[in-house]
Amino acid sequence: MISFVNLTKQSEEEKKDIIQSVKSVLKKSNFILGEENIKLEKLIKKYTKSKFCALLNSGTDALTLALHVVGIKRGDEVITVSNSFIASVASIVHLGAKPIFVDVKDDQNMDPYKIESKITKKTKCIMPVHLTGRVCDMSPILKIAKKYNLKVIEDAAQAFGSKYQNKSAGTFGDIGCFSLHPLKNFNSLGDGGLILTDSKKFYERIIKLRNHGIKNRNYVDEFGYVSRFDTLMASILVKRFKKLNEIIKKRRNNAKLYRKFITTHEVFIPAETKNEFNTYHTFVVHIKKKRNQLIEHLKNKKIMTAIHYPIPIHKQKAFVNKFKEKNHLPNTVDQSNKILSLPINQFLKIKEIKYISETINNFFQKK
Amino acid sequence: MKRWKVRYSYLPQQFKNIDRILKKVSNVVKSGDFTLGRELLTFEKKFAKLIGTKFSVGVNSGTDAIKLSLAAIGVKRGDEVITAANTFVATVGGICELGAKPVFVDVLDNYCLDTDKIEEKITKKTKCIMPVHFTGYAVNMTKLTLISKKYKIPIVEDACQGILSSFNKKNSGTWGVAGCFSLHPLKNLNVWSDGGVVTTNDKKIYEKLKLLRNHGLINRDEFIITGYNSRLDTIQAAVGNCLIKDVKKLTNQRILNATYYDQNFSQIKQLKIPKRYKENKNVFHLYVIYAENRDGLLRYCLNKGIECKIHYPKPLYLQEGLKFLGHKKGDFPNTDFQCKNIISFPVDQYLKKKQLDYVIQTVKDFYKNS
Repeated sequence: MISFVNLTKQSEEEKKDIIQSVKSVLKKSNFILGEENIKLEKLIKKYTKSKFCALLNSGTDALTLALHVVGIKRGDEVITVSNSFIASVASIVHLGAKPIFVDVKDDQNMDPYKIESKITKKTKCIMPVHLTGRVCDMSPILKIAKKYNLKVIEDAAQAFGSKYQNKSAGTFGDIGCFSLHPLKNFNSLGDGGLILTDSKKFYERIIKLRNHGIKNRNYVDEFGYVSRFDTLMASILVKRFKKLNEIIKKRRNNAKLYRKFITTHEVFIPAETKNEFNTYHTFVVHIKKKRNQLIEHLKNKKIMTAIHYPIPIHKQKAFVNKFKEKNHLPNTVDQSNKILSLPINQFLKIKEIKYISETINNFFQKK
Repeated sequence: MKRWKVRYSYLPQQFKNIDRILKKVSNVVKSGDFTLGRELLTFEKKFAKLIGTKFSVGVNSGTDAIKLSLAAIGVKRGDEVITAANTFVATVGGICELGAKPVFVDVLDNYCLDTDKIEEKITKKTKCIMPVHFTGYAVNMTKLTLISKKYKIPIVEDACQGILSSFNKKNSGTWGVAGCFSLHPLKNLNVWSDGGVVTTNDKKIYEKLKLLRNHGLINRDEFIITGYNSRLDTIQAAVGNCLIKDVKKLTNQRILNATYYDQNFSQIKQLKIPKRYKENKNVFHLYVIYAENRDGLLRYCLNKGIECKIHYPKPLYLQEGLKFLGHKKGDFPNTDFQCKNIISFPVDQYLKKKQLDYVIQTVKDFYKNS
């Protein structure tokens, strides 16, 4: 069986380190906002060349707090995409704002040239989603944001370590939001997230909001949230951080192997352009026809795959029940019927990737 | 770090021997089952059993327990939630996160909301009454339930500090449509990070809470409501599973310690112990009493190595963050009085009799000398 993710393997490798971290935090018993958090924030700032980093309880919370501090409120509109994980849109909805969708390009990311027609007086923010670990085409997006004086919040939940024009994901807009969920490339052992920003003002407000909005133990200036990253997890991630580059290298190499081994023309693999440095949180290919049969076939051959995501957000019940207007997003809808995520985790062996690729090639050749 | 003779946080003592817990944690790590895993299911079953409800749902914090419970009963922007004026900021934070408005009721001398003052606060917009079992003291729930029934307004209990507290022998968290608990490291039942639990007997609320904590997902690919991300980590549930069996015992020890304080402090005329009603089982998450020259006593105790605290020195309704409610000083006289006169002494299960005696003697000395 070739599994899609392999957390068990990772945990096994690091078990000693993990238990040691747990013990050292327990000794100090400083479970909330401890010094390990500051250490990890420092490492991340250095790695991404960002001025400020705040660890939070999840990627979803990162988006919510980011939107909150740039001033998104009831009645505002936020431009984003419909082919993301629901958390991007939920964070907008929870603040009482309205998500406005633009269609995507062949590479599944926001099409910058379709943004302007969606801008209204109510538009306050653009939220590009760096899906699969590929940074959106940020230059034109930033240009539009500047022209219309809009904030930019990057949903970089899947793109820790990714780059665009040699600059880290999450450092282009006003705030970059990341997830440290167990299934992410840089992952915690539970929920986790963080924001990056160069704005001292945004940073200071976020670290207040993540801790009830309290200034100190007894004074509260504004009501906040509880969204703190556990000290325990921070101490584990300080160690795990050392392996990140190796993981990214491995995943990038796996993608390269797929590109080499998959030869059938029934499969489209979006290219990695020279602007991009992708970290392949997922490796998504487009199956021109018979996707669902292929999935069955792969399953029979003991290869686990996934679809990210089979139902676009604008087609989900929660969205349709809340917002009445119709969305015309032909690429988004078309892709939801074609995309397929192949295993790309760092524990795969070359021969496994070869086996997966050949199985796909054969499936289409036979017909 | 200052060497306290009587320290407030007992965590280093609680976690001196952790091999048993580490074994469980390392099993979770090995399984890779980090979110909504098996240990969490077990914990939810144990927790519901402990409190005496049909269901419980693990969430990311006590604050989130409050927020998600309110969301589950349909509280939304513009609605009003009646609660106590002297609570921790999180009660109100949870209400405000949903865009609802907290409506405060003053408290009794036992720090619990005065049930006689609730009816005058009820309006058409009132969607929930949220009693706070503050310091571990259970609110008069019999009376509150009558009001709730009369006006058909549901109760959500903030039991974050009140695990195993009870009124007329019925546990906090079993009265309302939902009960909200915190598993913060400093709570009577704690985990190694933020954490919270909601208890309920209502299957519908239970199902709704499970959706709300996990993005509204009914399966991996479809969501039917916009939810939140607020899950109790599997690892923390494993920690909780190890600690939950100690809760009854440690609660009894806290009650013994508090009773010992009560007996001795009642001899000191400058101190006043809030009335101990026999219907309320107080689990003493905090041991809070009234003291003359409170600030002097606080300073004196700190100097003598006793880590006293004030819960809390500035009333919520006068905080900058609640300016928009338009309250002015004096609106809640009991709350005001408490903020100026209360003091909290360490009362946890690890204190030795010697330490309790030292606290008592120090307080006696302070008043003798002053």
